[in-house]
Amino acid sequence: MKKSISRVLLGFIILASAACTKIDNYSGPNASFEGNLISSEGGNLLTSQGSTQIRLEQISWSATPSPQEIPSKFDGTFMDTKLFKGTYKVIPKGGAFWPVYDTARVEINNGTKHDFTVTPYLVIKNFTATLVGTTLTLHYDIVAPIGAGLPTILETQPFVNTTKLVGTGASIRDFSDIYKKTINKDWANLTTAEKSITIDIPNMLRGRKFFVRAGVRLNDSFKSYNFSEIIEVDVPST
Amino acid sequence: MKSIHKLIIALTVSAGVSVTSCQKLDIPPTNIFTPQIILGTEAGVNSLLATIYRSLPIEDFKYRPDGGEDNGGIPHPGFNPGNPWMNFYHAGAVTGEMVGPFGGMDIGAGFGYWPYANIRNVNILINDLPKYADKLGQAKVDAILGEAHFLRAYYYFALAKRYGGVPIITIVQDPGAPISELQVHRDKEEATWDFIGAELDLGYKMMPETNQTGRANKYVAAALKSRAMLYAGCIAKYGSVNFVNGEARSLGFVGIGSDKANGYFTKAFDAAKLLEGHYSLYEKNPDKVQNYVDLFLKGDSPENIFIKQYSIATNTAHSWDATMSPRYMTANALSRAYPTLDFVQRWGALSITNADGTPKRFNDRAELMQGIEPRLLATVYFPGAVLRGLTFDMQRGVYPSFSGTAASEVAKSPGSRTYILSGDPKTLYQGKMVIGFTGLTSAADDAVTRTGFYVRKYIDYTKAISETDLYRSQQPWIDLRYAEILLNRAEADVELGNTGDALTCINQIRNRAGATPLTSVSITDVRNERCMELAFENHYYWDLKRWRIADVVLNNAKFKGLMPYYVANESKYIFLAEPELFQRNYNFDKRFYYEPIPGGELGKNPNLYPNNPNY
Repeated sequence: MKKSISRVLLGFIILASAACTKIDNYSGPNASFEGNLISSEGGNLLTSQGSTQIRLEQISWSATPSPQEIPSKFDGTFMDTKLFKGTYKVIPKGGAFWPVYDTARVEINNGTKHDFTVTPYLVIKNFTATLVGTTLTLHYDIVAPIGAGLPTILETQPFVNTTKLVGTGASIRDFSDIYKKTINKDWANLTTAEKSITIDIPNMLRGRKFFVRAGVRLNDSFKSYNFSEIIEVDVPST
Repeated sequence: MKSIHKLIIALTVSAGVSVTSCQKLDIPPTNIFTPQIILGTEAGVNSLLATIYRSLPIEDFKYRPDGGEDNGGIPHPGFNPGNPWMNFYHAGAVTGEMVGPFGGMDIGAGFGYWPYANIRNVNILINDLPKYADKLGQAKVDAILGEAHFLRAYYYFALAKRYGGVPIITIVQDPGAPISELQVHRDKEEATWDFIGAELDLGYKMMPETNQTGRANKYVAAALKSRAMLYAGCIAKYGSVNFVNGEARSLGFVGIGSDKANGYFTKAFDAAKLLEGHYSLYEKNPDKVQNYVDLFLKGDSPENIFIKQYSIATNTAHSWDATMSPRYMTANALSRAYPTLDFVQRWGALSITNADGTPKRFNDRAELMQGIEPRLLATVYFPGAVLRGLTFDMQRGVYPSFSGTAASEVAKSPGSRTYILSGDPKTLYQGKMVIGFTGLTSAADDAVTRTGFYVRKYIDYTKAISETDLYRSQQPWIDLRYAEILLNRAEADVELGNTGDALTCINQIRNRAGATPLTSVSITDVRNERCMELAFENHYYWDLKRWRIADVVLNNAKFKGLMPYYVANESKYIFLAEPELFQRNYNFDKRFYYEPIPGGELGKNPNLYPNNPNY
C-alpha cells in the first residue's frame, strides 16, 4: 500500500515537473474595430457585396504582416469584433472612390471607432422608381464631384432583388443584367442627356415585393460601381 | 622455449595489426554520387539535365493551371501533377476557347509556382561544370552550358509572366550564409525580362544546331526568345495603359515603361527571323484537313522545334485521347471541356440561318461542314464528323414541328418552347433518338458535350477504341512549333509597323490551313490568326493577359454552343446558337494581370514585399 502511494506520488512529481509553467500571455482576439465610410458628398458611401473593404495590417506584430480585410456593409458601415489588440495600418480600398493613399495608424482596442471620408467617383442623385402596371421605370442623374481624371465610365445598370441585400452578385439577372446600358465614355465626353438615365424594366412579377437600386461602373483598378440608395417596390397583385 | 612462443605470437599480432590497419580515413563516400561522378561524365550530366528537363514548366497536356492535387508533399504542383488523368482541366476552359470543369475564373491568382529549387539545380550546373572541362572537353562543356542558360531562361520566363519582377538568383546559395544574404530582393520586371533575353542569347550562341529529341538546340533558344520578348513588348505597351496602381508598380516590380516596347518587339522579330530556313510548316499531305491533323501527331514534322515526349513504359503517358473525346469513342474515363461556338466563329459565322431569319434545314448534320476551313475541321469535331468508325451524333432534342425564326425561338423561355429534350440517349421519339450518344444534355452528367463540339487537335484517331484508355496516349506535346514563330514575327511586325512582312508570314500559315490568303493585315487580323492557329495549345490565356484585354473579354462573359435539333415532321436537322449548357460566367479581375507572390514565400522572405497590386 505504502509502495503504491509512493509510486503515485512519484508519478505526480514527474508529471508536475514536466508540465508547462508559463502561461500563454497573449490575449485573445477580443478587440474590435468599427466605423463609417463617409462620402464627401454627404451621407455614407453606399456599397455592395464584394466592393469596398477596410484593409488592416497589424504592424505591431510584424513589419510585413499578412493583410486582412473587413468588408463594408451595404450602408457604408463596417465592424469586426474578433481582432487582436495592437497597432494597425488601416486603409479603405476596392470601391468606386478616389484612392486613399495615406494609411491611417490606429491603436485597436476594445470598441475602437474610426471613420474614413472618401470622395466617390460618381454620385447617383434624384433616384426614382415609378411603377406603371408591371413596368418599373428607373430614373437617375449621375454627378461627378471631381470630373478631371475620372476613370472611364463603362456602363450603368439596375439591380433588382427580392431582399434588401441587392447589388452586384445579389440580383435577379432577368430584371438586372439584361437592362445594362453600355456607356464607355470619359466624363468630359458625356452630354447632359447622357448623365440623366432612364431604364424601363417590364414584366415585373405581380404580388411581389422587390428591392431596387442603380449602379454605375467605372474602369478603375477594381472596375467598381457607385450605387444609389435602395428603394422598395411593391408590385400589386391586380 | 616458452619465450620463443611469446615472441612468435607478438610478431604475428603486430604484423597482422599493421597490415590490416587503416591506411587512409579520408576517402570519398562510396554510397553517394559526388560532383565528380555527376559533372565529370557525360552520363552523369545527362542525368542531372533529365531532372531539370522533367521539372521544366512546360504547359502540356497534363498542366493544371489551377495547380491540381497535391503530389508527393508538393501542394498544387501545376506542372507534372500527381494524378494527371484529368487533362480537361485546361487553361482554355476559363477563357471561352472552351467551357468546362472550372466554375469560373478559377486560375486568375495562380497556384504559387516558385521553382527556385529547380533553378538551383541549373545554377549548380552553370557554376561547377566549367571545372570539369578537362574530362568532358571544352566544346561539350560549352554546349551544355548553353543548354543550361536556355533552361534557366525557361524557368524565369514562367515566373516573369506570372509575377512580373522576381529575384534573379544566378549563384548557388550557401544554406549556411547569413539570412540577410539568403533573403534576396525582388528585381524589377524590366530587369527580369532583360535577364531572360540575355540568357537566351547565351543559349543561342553556345548550343549546337541539333540535339537529342526533347532537348534544346540553339534555335529552341531563339524561338523561346521570340515568345518572351513579344510578351515583354506587350507588357510595356499595353500594361502602361491598362494597369492596377500600387506600391509594386511605382517601384517597378511590375510594369515596364512604354518607351521600351519597340525595343522588345524588335528583339522578338530578330529572334524569330533566326529560325527562317531551319524549320518549316508541315505540308506533307495534300489533303489539307488530314495534313493539319497529322501535324500534331507525326514525329517527322519539320515544324516541331521543341517537344516533350511521353511513354507508357516509363509511366509518363498522358490521357488526352481518353479525356477530350466522349466515352462513346473511348475505352474509359470521360470528357469535360468543350469548344464554344464563340471560338468556332473566329473563322466567321456558321451558315445556319437563312436570309429571312429561319433556321436552315439540313438533311444530315454533316452537311454543316461543307465549305468550312480545313484547319477548323481539324481543330474541332463538328456534329456529323467521324472518329474511330463512330459518328459524332450531337443532338440537343427534337422538335415535332418548327416554325418561325431562330432568334425568336431562342429568345423564348424554356417552358414555352415545344421541343422534346432528354437526359438519356435511350429516350426515343417516334422511334428516333431524342439526343445522341455524344450529347447534348444539361442533365447532371457533364461527360458529353455542352456546346455541340469536341476538341480534335492532338486526338490520335489511329488508336482503336479499346486502346483509348487513361495513361495510354504517347503523342508528344509540341511546346514550340514554327507556326507560332511566324505568328510571333507577324505580331512584332505589326507592332513595329512592318505590315508587309507580317502579311507574308500570316499567308504562309493561311495557305497551309487551307484558308484564303489575306490582302492586308491589321493587329486584329494577326491576333485572330494566332487564336485560331494556336487554339487549345495553352497560349490564349497568356495572350489575353499580355494584350491586357482579359478584363474586357472576360467581363461577366457567357459563351454559346451550337445546338442541333431534329425537326420530326420535316425529317430535317436545324442548328440554333444558344447559351452553352454549363451556363458558366467568367470574370477577370484587373489584378489578375499579375499573380500574387505566394504567401509562404512572403513569410520566409520579407524582402519580396511589396506584393503585387491589390493582393
